[in-house]
Amino acid sequence: MKRMRILAIETSCDETAVSIVHFCGEKMIRVVKNLVFSQIPIHQKYGGVVPEVAARSHVAETVSLLTQATGKQQLKSFDAIAVTQGPGLATALRVGIEAARTLTFLSGKPLIGVNHLEGHLASAWLNAQNREKFKFPLLALIVSGGHTELVLMKDFCKYKIVGQTRDDAAGECFDKSAKLMGLPYPGGPHIAQLALDGDPHAFDLPHPMLKDPSLDFSFSGLKTAVRQSWEKLEIKNKKIRKNFAASLQQTIVDVLVEKTIRAAKKFKVNGILLVGGVSANQELRRQMGERIECELKKVTFLPSDRLYITDNAAMIAAAGFWRLRNGDRTNWKTIDAKPEWNV
Amino acid sequence: MKTLKHEIKSLEDWQKVIKTLLPHLKYGTILALSGPLGAGKTTFVQLLAKALGAKVNPRSPTFSLVRNYSLLTTNYLLKRLVHVDAYRIEDEKDLLPLNLDEELAEPGTIMAIEWPENIKKWLTHQRTPIIHIDISLQKTRRQVQISAEAGV
Repeated sequence: MKRMRILAIETSCDETAVSIVHFCGEKMIRVVKNLVFSQIPIHQKYGGVVPEVAARSHVAETVSLLTQATGKQQLKSFDAIAVTQGPGLATALRVGIEAARTLTFLSGKPLIGVNHLEGHLASAWLNAQNREKFKFPLLALIVSGGHTELVLMKDFCKYKIVGQTRDDAAGECFDKSAKLMGLPYPGGPHIAQLALDGDPHAFDLPHPMLKDPSLDFSFSGLKTAVRQSWEKLEIKNKKIRKNFAASLQQTIVDVLVEKTIRAAKKFKVNGILLVGGVSANQELRRQMGERIECELKKVTFLPSDRLYITDNAAMIAAAGFWRLRNGDRTNWKTIDAKPEWNV
Repeated sequence: MKTLKHEIKSLEDWQKVIKTLLPHLKYGTILALSGPLGAGKTTFVQLLAKALGAKVNPRSPTFSLVRNYSLLTTNYLLKRLVHVDAYRIEDEKDLLPLNLDEELAEPGTIMAIEWPENIKKWLTHQRTPIIHIDISLQKTRRQVQISAEAGV
C-alpha cells in the first residue's frame, strides 16, 4: 500500500497539538512527531482557571508547533492534512481549522475534518498489538473530563453511541468531588493517589444508574452524595481521607466497568477499547481488564497507550487516515467548527 | 416579580418553581444560577429545557463552557436556550472568545448561567433582565430563592 503522510492539528480543548504520522498500510505506522502545548503546567491549572481560553484565540501556539513539527520539510512532503472539527469550543476549534485550511490551500493536498471522539477511538489503534486484534464489532468506553460515552463500532467509520452520561462526565465527577474534599486540580490523579492505600468499601456511596436498564450514566447525583457524606464527617484525618477517596474512585469505577461489560455482552463484541483522559486511572484499567478476563473469555481488552490518552494530534491523524482510506474528504472552502458533533 | 422562596424536596418541587418562572421568561432573559457544587444547578437547567420543549437533555457544560439547545415552544417565543458554565472562568477576559454578547443578542435566546459569581462584571453590563436563582444547601435541605432585577 502506498505510504500516506498525514499532518494533523488538534485545538478542540485546552491543549494545542500537532502531529506527523506516516501510514504504510496497517502494519507500519510511525508517529514521527507528536507535540502538545499546554500554556501552563497542568498541575498549576486549578479547576477555576481557563487562561488558555484567552490564549487559544491566538494562532501563535499552532503556528509555533507547526514550525517545530515540520522543520525544514516542505508542505509537499505531506499527503494529507487532518484537523479536529468538533466537538469542542467553537473559537478554539476554529484556530486549528483556519491553520489547516490555509495549509490545504497552499499545498493543494486533501483535507479531512476529524471528530475528536473518533480520534480517541483511534488512539487505541495506534498501539500495534491492539491493531492486530481490532476485529469488529468493538465497544469503546470514551471517558474524560468532558465525555463519558459507550460507542459501538461496527466497522471503521461506522459507530453508534449506545450509552452516555445524562449530566456530568466521569472526569468532571472526579474533579469536582476532589474540589469538595479540598484537593487541588486536576482531581482525578489526586484522588487516585490518595486512594492507593485507602479502603474502597469504607464508605457506601450511591452507584448512580447501576440498576437502570439503559446503558446511560449519571454522575451529578453522586457529586451531591459526595458533598453530603463529606460534610457529615466530623473527623477528616489522613486515613479517613484515603478511605473516602478510595470509596469514591471505586464507585465511579464500578459504574463504568459494569455498564461497559453489560454493553459488551448485549452487542457481542470482540474487543473493548478504553480511551480518553480518565482511562489513565490505574484502578479503572486494572478492574476493567480483570472483569473482561473473568466474564468475557473471548473478548480482548484494548486500552490506549499512555502516550495517547490525553488530547493529542497523533490520534487525529489516525482517525483522519481511517476517513481518507474510506474515501472521505472535507472541502477546505466550507469547513467550519462543529461544536456539538457526535460520532 | 417579587422575591420567592421555595423548599426543594423532590423533582416535582423543581417543576413547580419552573412553572412559576415560565411566564417571566422573555428573549434576552438571563437566569443567573448560584449555588455550591452538587446543589442542583444542572438539574434545574435540564428541567427548564424540558419545560421549554428542548429535544435534547442538557448535560453539564463545564468542559465545553457553552452548550446550545433549540427550543420548540409556541407559548413563549423562545427559540433557543444557551447554557453557560463559568465554573472554570477565573479572569473575565477569558469570556471574550465565548462571544456571550452575540449569543445573547440572537433573537429568541434565553441564557442560563452557572457560577455567575465568576463573571460579575460582564453581568452588570447587561441591559437585558436578569433573574437570580440562588440555591442553598444545608445538610439535606435544599432551598431556592428567586429574585429579579428591575424590569422583570
